Amino acid sequence: MSLTIALAAVLAIAAIAGWLGFARASRLRGTTRLHSLPVYHAAYAAMWAALPALLFLALWSPVQSRFVDQSVLASPEGRVLPTFEMQRQSILSEAREIASGQRDAGFNPESTTLVPRFAEAENRFATIGGGIAILFALAGAVFSLRRSAPGFRARTGVERWVMALLVAASLIATLTTLGILLSLMFESLRFFKLVPVTEFVFGTQWSPQMALRADQAGSSGAFGSIPLFWGTVFIGAIIAMIVAIPLGLMSAIYLTQYAHPRVRSWMKPILEILAGIPTVVYGYFAALTVAPHVRDFGIAIGVSSASSESALAAGLVMGIMIIPFISSMADDSIAAVPQAMRDGSLAMGATKSETIRKVVLPAALPGVVGGVLLAVSRAIGETMIVVMAAGLAANMTANPFASVTTVTTQIVQLLTGDQEFDSAKTLAAFALGLALFLITLVLNLIALTVVRRYREAYE
Amino acid sequence: MSSVAHPQRTGASNDARLRKRYAAERRFHFAGLFAVGLSALFLVFLLSNMAWKGLGGFTHYEAAMPIDFARSDLMLDPATLKGPDASEVVAGADVEGLLSKSAGAAFGPDAAEMFGAAAQRSVGRQLIRDPGLLGRRAKLWLPVGSKVDVAAKQGGDGAIQQLVHQLRAKNALRRTVNIDFLTESDATDPSAVGIWGALKGTFLTIMVTMLLAFPIGVLSAVYLEEFARRNRWTDAIEVSINNLAAVPSIIFGLLGLAVFLNFMDLPRSAPLVGGLTLALMTMPVIVIAGRNAITSVPPSIRDAALGVGASKMQVVFHHVLPLALPGILTGTIIGMARALGETAPLLMIGMRAFIAAPPSGLTNPATVLPVQIFLWSDEVDRGFVEKTSAAIIVLLLFMLLMNGLAIYLRNRFEQRW
Repeated sequence: MSLTIALAAVLAIAAIAGWLGFARASRLRGTTRLHSLPVYHAAYAAMWAALPALLFLALWSPVQSRFVDQSVLASPEGRVLPTFEMQRQSILSEAREIASGQRDAGFNPESTTLVPRFAEAENRFATIGGGIAILFALAGAVFSLRRSAPGFRARTGVERWVMALLVAASLIATLTTLGILLSLMFESLRFFKLVPVTEFVFGTQWSPQMALRADQAGSSGAFGSIPLFWGTVFIGAIIAMIVAIPLGLMSAIYLTQYAHPRVRSWMKPILEILAGIPTVVYGYFAALTVAPHVRDFGIAIGVSSASSESALAAGLVMGIMIIPFISSMADDSIAAVPQAMRDGSLAMGATKSETIRKVVLPAALPGVVGGVLLAVSRAIGETMIVVMAAGLAANMTANPFASVTTVTTQIVQLLTGDQEFDSAKTLAAFALGLALFLITLVLNLIALTVVRRYREAYE
Repeated sequence: MSSVAHPQRTGASNDARLRKRYAAERRFHFAGLFAVGLSALFLVFLLSNMAWKGLGGFTHYEAAMPIDFARSDLMLDPATLKGPDASEVVAGADVEGLLSKSAGAAFGPDAAEMFGAAAQRSVGRQLIRDPGLLGRRAKLWLPVGSKVDVAAKQGGDGAIQQLVHQLRAKNALRRTVNIDFLTESDATDPSAVGIWGALKGTFLTIMVTMLLAFPIGVLSAVYLEEFARRNRWTDAIEVSINNLAAVPSIIFGLLGLAVFLNFMDLPRSAPLVGGLTLALMTMPVIVIAGRNAITSVPPSIRDAALGVGASKMQVVFHHVLPLALPGILTGTIIGMARALGETAPLLMIGMRAFIAAPPSGLTNPATVLPVQIFLWSDEVDRGFVEKTSAAIIVLLLFMLLMNGLAIYLRNRFEQRW
C-alpha cells in the first residue's frame, strides 16, 4: 500500500461521512427543527474525517523516508555499504529511484541489491502510516456522526474548523520569514566555524577556491566579503540609481503634473510593462547588446582596461529596470500632497515648475526617499542581470568600465555545479545570503515605516 | 508713511526676470517629457532588439537532398519500421553517416557536415511515415545544420558561404517555419532545440505555485482583514508579509535549497520544489492584493448580511469574498506573471541541468522557460543566439497575455463603490 492509496481512502471516507451526515440531518429535518442546515452537518462530518487524517499524512510522509533509509541501512545488504557518506548516499538514492520506478538501472552495482529491501521497507512503513491515517479518518467520522442531533450546532463546529484554517494560513508567512532566518543562520554558523567572522566581514580578499585535496598547498581560499559588497553597492546603489532616480522622478512629475490625462493613461501602462519584463531578459540584453557597446565606448575614450563585463553595462540596464519602480512610488507620494498646497503656491504667482520644485517635491520627499530605499533594496538583491552581465573578479575599483562582482553573482556561482554540501564554498553562499537578507530587511523596514508615516501625515 | 524698502522693479528688468523664469519652466517641462520619452524609447528598443534577433528563430532553412536509400548501408528492415519501437530502430541506424555521404556526393566535400541532429530526426520521421523510401532514391527537404542556417540568414565566411550560394543557385534551399522549435526539447545541437520541455516544466511549476499560493494567500488575507484582532501577533504577521514581498528572490531559492532539498529530501530540479519555492515568494503578493480588495468592499454589505442573520463566517464567504474576487484575481495573475519570469530561485534548487526530455510528472527533473533562456545564453555556438531571443519572445508573449488578462479583469469586473 502506498501513501497515495491511503490519501484516496481518507478522502473517500470523508466523502461517505459527509454524505451520511447529510442524509441523517435531512431525515431529522422531516420530524423536528434543526439548529444547522443539513449541509453543515455534512461539512462537519467530512471535516472531522478528513482534516486530522490529512494533517497526520502531511507530517508522516517526510518522517517515513527517514525510517525507510534507516531500516534499509540496518538490513544485511545495507551494512556492507561503503562507509564514506557521499558514496553511501548516492547508492541509497539510486536504489530509491529504481524502487519507485523513476529509473531503470543503477550506476553502482550495490544499488540493485538494495532495491528489494527498499521496496519492502517502503511497503511496510506506508502500510503503518496509511493504516493510522485511515484509523484517524474513521474515528473522526464516527465521532462527528454520533454527535449529529436536532439541537447540535454543526455550523459553529464547521466555522471553528474554518477559523483554524484561516489562522494556519496566515501563520505561513511568519513561518516563511522564520524559516529563512533559521536556515540561513544555521548554515552560516557552520560556515563561521570554518572561517572566522572577522575575516568574512572585514576581509578584502575574495577567492573561494578551496583546496581539492587536503594536502594541497597554497589554495586555502579567502572569504573576505568587502569587495563583493562594494561591487553590489557600486552597481545597484550607485550606477543604477544615477540612471533610475532622475528618469523615474521626472517621469512621475511629468505624468502627474503636465501630461494630458489621455497621455497619462497610455504612458503609465507602458512604464509598467518595463517593470513586468523578466530579469533574465534584461540580463541577456545587457550582456549581448549593451556590454559590447559600453566596452567599445570605454576604449574610444581612452580606458584601455575596459572590460566586456563592465559594472556600467549591468548598472545601466538595472537602472532601466528600476525606473518604473521609482516612478510609481514617486507618483503615489506626489498624488498624496494636498491640492491646497499646490493652489496656494500657484496663487502666489509661482510657475508650475517652481511650485513643483519648491512646494510639491519637498512635501513629497519622505515618500520619494522611502521609494528610493525600496528600489535600492531591490537593486542589490537583483540576481539575473548581474549574473549574466557582471563579472566574477572581486575587484575594489571605482572605474565603471572595469569588471566587479556582486553578492548575488557569487551566491549563484558558489551553489551551482555539483559539490558536496559541507564545503566552505557552499556554506559561504548562505553567509552571503544572510548578510543580503539582513541588509534588505533593514532597508525595507526603514522604507516601509517612512512611507507609512508620510501617508498618515496627509490623511 | 514709510513702506518696507523694496526695490522697485522697472519694466525691463522685470521682463527679463520673467523670461528667465518661463525659460526655466519650459526646460523643466521638457526634462519631464524627455524622461518619459527616454523610458518609452528603452522599452521600444529592448522589444525591437529581441524581435529583430529572435523572429528568425521561428524559421529555419531546409535543403533539398537527394538520398539513395537503396544503396545505403542503413540495414533497416521496412517491417520493423511499422512496429511500436520504430523510433528506437531508426535511432539505432547510422543516419548521420548516410547524410554526410549523400551531402558530400551532391554538393562537394565541404558539404559533408551541412546537416545536424535536426536533419537526422527529420529523416527518421519520414522513414517511419513512408518505409517504402528504403528501397528507392528520393529527394527530401531536410533542415540544415546550425552553421549553414546562420550563414544563410546572416552571412558567413568562406566555405560555408560558398555552400549557401551553391545551394541557392541550384534552388535547393528554402526557408520554412520551424515547428520543431515549439514541439521539441533542449538539445546540444542548436538546429534541433525546442522549447516544449521548458514550457511543460513552466506549466507544471506554475500550477503547483498557483494551487498553493492562491488558497493560502486568500485565506490569510481574509483572516488579517476580517477576523484578526490588532495585537502584537497580528502586527508581526503583517510586518513579515510586507517584508517578504520585498525580500530578494534569490533568498527564497536559498530557503528552498536548505529546507526542501537538504532537510525534506525532495528531488532536485523537480517542478514540485520549484513550485513550492515560487509559492512562498508569490504568496505575500497575493495577500497584499487580497487585503486591498477586501478593504474596498463597503461595510454596508457586511452590515446588511449581518442584519438578516448571517454569521460572521457566512458574511465573509458568501458576500465579501465574491465581491472582492476580481481584485484578488488581478493581484494573483500579476503575482503569477512575476513567478513565471523568475529565474534566480530556480537556479538555487538545481533547475539548471541539461534536460532533453519534457517532464512527465511533478517529481521528474525539469527546466522552465526563463532558466532555459539563461542556459542557452551561456552557449558559445552562434546558432543559440537566435534561439535564445526566440524563446524570449515566447516568454514575453506569455507575460503580455497574463498582464493583459489582469488589466481586462480589472476593467471588466472591478467595482468602484
